[in-house]
Amino acid sequence: MKLRKPVAIIATLAMVLSLAACGEEPASVSETAPASVSTEASTSVEASVEPEAEAEPITLHMAWWGSQTRHDRTIAVIELYESLHPNINIEYEPMDFDGYFNKLTTLVASNEVWDIFQLGSNFPTYQSKIYCLNDFIADGTIDVSGTTDAFLRIAADENGNQVGLCSGVNTYGIAYDPQLFADAGVAEPTENWTWEDYKQACLTIHEKLGIYGSSKFDDWQAGASMGVNQEGFGIGFFTKTNDGLGFDDPKMLSDYIQMRSDLVKAGAYPDPGACNEISDIENDFVVSGEAAMTWVASNQFVSLCNAAGRELKLINPPRKKADGPAGVSIQSSQMLCVSQDSEHPEEAAKFIEFFQSNVDANKILLAERGIPTFTAVREALADDLTDVEKAVYEYVDVVGAFDTGGETVNPASPACTDAIKEQYNYYLEKVIYGEMTADEASQAIYDFAASQF
Amino acid sequence: MSKSANIEKTVIKSERTAWNRFIYNNNTVGYIFASPFILGFLVFTLIPMLSSLYYSCTDYNLIEKEHFIGIQNYADLFKDERFLNSIKVTLQYVIISVPCKLAFALFIAFLLTRPSKLVGFYRSWYYLPSLIGGSVAVALVWKELFARKGLINLNLARLGINGPNWFGGMTTAKWPIVLMTVWQFGSSMLIFAAGLKEIPTSYYEAAKIDGANGWQSFFKITMPCLSPIILFNLIMQLISSFMVFTQAFVITKGGPNDATMYYALYVYKQGINNRNMGYASAMSWVMLVIMSVITAIVFKTSKHWVFNEAEG
Repeated sequence: MKLRKPVAIIATLAMVLSLAACGEEPASVSETAPASVSTEASTSVEASVEPEAEAEPITLHMAWWGSQTRHDRTIAVIELYESLHPNINIEYEPMDFDGYFNKLTTLVASNEVWDIFQLGSNFPTYQSKIYCLNDFIADGTIDVSGTTDAFLRIAADENGNQVGLCSGVNTYGIAYDPQLFADAGVAEPTENWTWEDYKQACLTIHEKLGIYGSSKFDDWQAGASMGVNQEGFGIGFFTKTNDGLGFDDPKMLSDYIQMRSDLVKAGAYPDPGACNEISDIENDFVVSGEAAMTWVASNQFVSLCNAAGRELKLINPPRKKADGPAGVSIQSSQMLCVSQDSEHPEEAAKFIEFFQSNVDANKILLAERGIPTFTAVREALADDLTDVEKAVYEYVDVVGAFDTGGETVNPASPACTDAIKEQYNYYLEKVIYGEMTADEASQAIYDFAASQF
Repeated sequence: MSKSANIEKTVIKSERTAWNRFIYNNNTVGYIFASPFILGFLVFTLIPMLSSLYYSCTDYNLIEKEHFIGIQNYADLFKDERFLNSIKVTLQYVIISVPCKLAFALFIAFLLTRPSKLVGFYRSWYYLPSLIGGSVAVALVWKELFARKGLINLNLARLGINGPNWFGGMTTAKWPIVLMTVWQFGSSMLIFAAGLKEIPTSYYEAAKIDGANGWQSFFKITMPCLSPIILFNLIMQLISSFMVFTQAFVITKGGPNDATMYYALYVYKQGINNRNMGYASAMSWVMLVIMSVITAIVFKTSKHWVFNEAEG
């Protein structure tokens, strides 16, 4: 009986704790609330001055994926837009990549997709939810005079439907730490380095310094999507029309899988458990000095350098043959789209135009999503680029100058890509844990991919 | 004046007879009080279950309109090696974690039957992990604890033991997850503690006089008297263990090489990540069947080991 009190206290404590845990999300919303309140307050003053601001209040929903840097900058731009357009209120949801697409899928099923949302080359999967922007471009709601047709095309489907506006162009690359390479006595990679050079570099660095030679790669890109491109001009994992596989020899996948497995066994590459410890680019093993190189999208390089606080360099991914195709190409890193479920597509489109083409907005964003596609923005940013940002621009120029054999890049990937990618990673792990040979895994991946069409 | 009053009276009377007869009816009262549950059951359990039964016979992918494909999904399931593997690792997990958790809960409950001023405090203290244990936050803490350079390996190193890379090995990855489950023994412990209190002390006194030692009285008195409670806890824990999801989702994401790709996690992966909602629905129904069969087996065999005082 005497013990009731402590019991009650602990129970209450536990409940409060669990409530606090549940309340995490609303708490973060309320953190942002003061900011939006202050803009509302300032806008209401403006509203009384400006007669044109009497329009009815409109709420738009927006979401994107990315790292903390991107979240902070995007939110600042949203607040800027709200202060310029007092009747617009934008509710936003910053998320990580996996969480974003899981939520998007459920919203698609319930016809509640955010008014403004972010997509990459996987847009064909969600095409039924994308509001085509052609009419808005035709009637001038979206002014595209500041960009080029080529840049518009990387955010359009093969029928010329403008599915979004590109947030920036990027390409894939390898970020490496020149100091660690020097310490291990390994020559720095050059444009024509091969996977064999990469493997030797990893092994030597591991042997000399006791760290991982390489941190986590995007295996699907490196081994399959880009890997097949490296076989020769015009060869790709998918056909140009995305209706089948663009290669016929499963062995094209084997070398990468075999190399990955060998490197993990040697301890020169993190095993799947260690890879799982990396949640985003800002806590990559290169940041902590536990690895000498890592796979990045060029626009992530700035975040990586800032997090590492050391000099890092950017080079193109290794090739299969020193004189063969590089496999990488310049692409739309991502785009902003308007959803079919939106009640105010026109307002959403206006916001997207502002986001991509307004100089002030982009001085906040600082090309974090890739190199801007609007000329005026690029020129405005060019004046005060940091050395790291310059390195990214230079790298993208280098990749842009690579010989592509006259091929153009298909900006879209077929809807079954996610399932194939999942299966690719599944079989890759089977090889790493010795349950399959690289050739068997390649064949299994090929058969699965072919069965998707 | 008096006339209208009369009319009012008759109206009230007739209302009383019709409306009141309905509202004061025992069944009506019962249904009204049960309605929050009935509504919740319909909206959150029955309707979703029926729609998942329908979707399990379609190729629904969340985006396009579904097509009816009969039992194709069910046929595909048994050809899917990842699915069969998920059954294997889930069973493995259940077989390891449930007995460990129950034994540990019983052990702590037994310790806490001793008369002590702090029993209430300890009981609440040991219950805490169960309250917060299912949360993502604790799973993240666990992930850090067992990381390659986490606290566990750091302390093992101090003892001169070279700690394994827990989440990198196929055999070691499941142990932190099992440990986390066992750590949440609170609710079973409370039920055991209540059961232990019900056992009359006179039994133990009699056994003591007859010269029984601690182990004997535990196995001859405590265990049989507690067996109905053990049955209850066993069934509850079996069901909840089969649905293990959060820990694996947050800590290992099913890896390495599917060593912790538990059933519920694979359902999620197929349904949400790969957008095979039809396939995932079929998987859930197979899960329901498996769990029903196992629960039925436990009930059937319970006749032989559950001691019932009324019969005995």
